[in-house]
Amino acid sequence: MKADTVSEPSLLAASGLTRAYREGKGVFDIKLRLAGGEVVGLMGPNGSGKTTLLRLLATAATPTGGQLTWFGNSNPRDPSVRRRLGIMLDQPAHFEQMTGYQNAWFFAHQFGLGDDLSRERLDELFRWSGLSEARDQRVSEYSLGMKRRLNLVEALVHRPSILLLDEPTLALDYRAELDLIERLQLLSLTGSAVVLATNDVHLAERLCDRVLFLHEGRVIREGRVPELLTEVAGAREVQLQVNSPIGLEALRSLPAVQAANVEGDTVHIILARGANPAQVLAVLNGTADLVSTMRVRRPHLGDVFLKLTGVALPSAHR
Amino acid sequence: MMLAGTIWQRELVEFAQRRRALIIKLVFPLLVAVPLVLSGAPTIYAAMALTMLAAIVGALGSGAVLTRERQSGLTLRYRTLPVTPGRLLIERLTTNGLIDFVQLVPVLLLIAVRHPSEFAWWPALLLSMAAVLLIGNLTGAVASTLSDSPGEVMLYVVIPLIPLLYLSGVFTPLEQPMLPVISRLLPFSYLYQALLGSLGGQPNLLPWETVLGGFGFLVGAIGLTGWFGRRVLESD
Repeated sequence: MKADTVSEPSLLAASGLTRAYREGKGVFDIKLRLAGGEVVGLMGPNGSGKTTLLRLLATAATPTGGQLTWFGNSNPRDPSVRRRLGIMLDQPAHFEQMTGYQNAWFFAHQFGLGDDLSRERLDELFRWSGLSEARDQRVSEYSLGMKRRLNLVEALVHRPSILLLDEPTLALDYRAELDLIERLQLLSLTGSAVVLATNDVHLAERLCDRVLFLHEGRVIREGRVPELLTEVAGAREVQLQVNSPIGLEALRSLPAVQAANVEGDTVHIILARGANPAQVLAVLNGTADLVSTMRVRRPHLGDVFLKLTGVALPSAHR
Repeated sequence: MMLAGTIWQRELVEFAQRRRALIIKLVFPLLVAVPLVLSGAPTIYAAMALTMLAAIVGALGSGAVLTRERQSGLTLRYRTLPVTPGRLLIERLTTNGLIDFVQLVPVLLLIAVRHPSEFAWWPALLLSMAAVLLIGNLTGAVASTLSDSPGEVMLYVVIPLIPLLYLSGVFTPLEQPMLPVISRLLPFSYLYQALLGSLGGQPNLLPWETVLGGFGFLVGAIGLTGWFGRRVLESD
């Protein structure tokens, strides 16, 4: 056991946290401090280390270096640590031959709840998640979205001090996403901290106090959401849907262009403050017929990431 | 609806809910045992086949289940439960061993009904059977960490099992001076001796010696299961 030495109490503290895999992937030298009531987002493209970091914080993976403490305790196997964590990992794994309610009952009891409290909270959470009617169905008959909602129920039932969620809105419909945001805001008001790995920029902007950008296993930027958005304040994002590939170098050489990246058949361009989108089309002079649609919009956290790394977050431009 | 709040209860509930698997599991050992016990087959063959049956029943089930759980992400979820890995593995494998034991109870009853005068061997038979089933489950659990393919895991289980059964004197009497000593270090030899005794054959050990051996291996297997907890559940 290792006591937290910082005067401000933190629920979770990581320094130099590293998990290196053989093929050179993993997360490296992560520093993170989590206070009660705080909501922190981990954002980055696939393979950036979000899931690995979340697994480390969730005690599901063992670090190869650095320090990590939960509630001042550095033993990840200590049941008193795990009992205060609520976890939703990337795979919504369940006991498929058992019903949704049987699964949730099992996890509620594992995290220390008795029969009466489990029944009361599960009834409420099944109603909230929209799973009431499916509670006695086997999980093998659930859709992916239902399995993820069940996972949320299981992560929330014991009212954890730290909630760790990997892509919580994946496979959820818009209504369920709004319900989740409301629930997590309420939870943070009661003093619980939330860490969510997500590329849903709208979720991150609405919910997170702070965001960590991960790229190739390292935190490349960290800050409060409004601070990060000032990086692209006044800028605009231009999305061009193109019929055939276009050269990005000419675009990037423009002073008006802060960043440019291709994702499928869509080119994302961050324009500097005051720049005119027509300048982009001027560069494409003679090839503008390749452009099938053009959209201009206010930038978001995904654009900050694009500006910093030149890499687009998957699904950030929905 | 049956609700389970503990790890062992959950194993039992899931087993009870899978009716088709339940029936197959109960009938399969009987299909092997009925002709052996009821016919006039020499006791050495009957004891050999039943020892192999117990060893395989214990090892194959847990190996395949744990491999599938690793692939589906359930092992990761188990890893985040507020339970130490050793306790978790003991709870799971002893319950699975108990389920395997229930599976073999009809066979044991058949032996008892057919050879009631050999009751002195029954404690030894129960203990050595329990020990072999738990060790089989542990072997399967360890093998599940070696591959992502359930088929390959089966192979990793069976490959060491065959020579170990041979060294236990199950296939043929051990005549080399060292081999009988080695056989006493293996749990299968005690089950084989207990089966020989229960079936009215001529074992090399006395009932109390077999009771001691079976008990020792059962306690040892529980300790070893706890020790392997992290190895099995936290292998990445």
